[in-house]
Amino acid sequence: MGKKKKIVQEVTVMTEPLAVEESSVDDLRGCLLEIKEYDGVIGYILRNSTSAAIDLKDPTKVIDYAILSSSSLDASEVLSKDFNLGTVKSIIVDGKDVKMLSLTVSENRISVFMDKKASCEKILKKLHSL
Amino acid sequence: MEVNNVNNEVYSFALKNTLNEIQNICPDIKNSFMFKDNGEIIAGDENTPEKVVVRVIDSFDGILEKADAIGGIEGITLEGNKGRVNISCMNDLYLVTVTSRKADMNYINTVTHVLIPTILKLLEKIHPAPLKSNQPQPEIETEIASDEELEEEEETPFKETLAEEPEEDPETKTLLPELPVNQLIIENLGGLLVPSDTVRIDSDLLSQWEELSGSMKIEEVEAETFDGKTLRCKVKPIKDSKYEGKGIIRMPEKIQLNLEIEKGELIRVKPVVD
Repeated sequence: MGKKKKIVQEVTVMTEPLAVEESSVDDLRGCLLEIKEYDGVIGYILRNSTSAAIDLKDPTKVIDYAILSSSSLDASEVLSKDFNLGTVKSIIVDGKDVKMLSLTVSENRISVFMDKKASCEKILKKLHSL
Repeated sequence: MEVNNVNNEVYSFALKNTLNEIQNICPDIKNSFMFKDNGEIIAGDENTPEKVVVRVIDSFDGILEKADAIGGIEGITLEGNKGRVNISCMNDLYLVTVTSRKADMNYINTVTHVLIPTILKLLEKIHPAPLKSNQPQPEIETEIASDEELEEEEETPFKETLAEEPEEDPETKTLLPELPVNQLIIENLGGLLVPSDTVRIDSDLLSQWEELSGSMKIEEVEAETFDGKTLRCKVKPIKDSKYEGKGIIRMPEKIQLNLEIEKGELIRVKPVVD
């Protein structure tokens, strides 16, 4: 647990947090902390234009996961535009070991990482309910 | 060599027809195409413009590059409020299907996951391994000293020819018809010391061409756009590792202007040998 907190703090220092954080971001963070306790969830990345929070069980994966997260959300924008898919609800990247669920809530880009067999449904429901 | 080209065409033709047939039996599929992890397009349906395919494949670069972090990609699903995109990994190839929101994904997945692997298996039996023809050959050190690059600053005039004028002076360099033609994605090449008459392609591809041409050094390539415009230019291996193994041709702006083509578009490239 101590390790996890450390990662969040490090990332927050690197970015420039808002003086007054919006309540919606706080809600999201709270929601993601809850999701982190779900079965099979191994961490999350939350980013917006002013701040970022990363909480992953394995800190050595931070960079790779951050690139995967931003690449998948960027790709979803391209796909949505080119194929006229409308608003993107979610993009799920199924890896052989790990699954990544990414979505945008307001201006916040979220990726949740979980074991291959974990279910995305409950997480999606929770995040979309915000 | 020729056999490889023919085999690739057979693969492409068979898969293209398969994709079209799948669309006939699953009308909810709006677009479908297949590509390799190096970005090479294998086959696409009739509805999807090539530019779109290239752009989409390009957008997956970052994901595919970091796929190892999650154990390799098995599939990607994008859910939009008007439709859905599915990318499935099959035999080292990626199948992209775009469907309407109401599509029965179980039915579509059943059809695609049965038909495509069956066709691939069948093709593999008929023409073994043509899709691996562009796989990297044993590594050959191709880094060029910067002095050498400085010497190249002297530009040579372009030898631009239109496809409609295929006649060539028999005295000059001739194209070996049996050498392979590769489809590559254009990436910008710029910088102060970059010669504007030279493109850069994967060193593995160059080695492969050299091997196929009987160890002749490939110094020039002929680039042909899908509009039929051709241009012969010098070629060097890609030095920046981030562009290696992705089916990319790095091209100076001047050549792009001459060919009326730009970054992200697809171009046919074949070696020119003496």
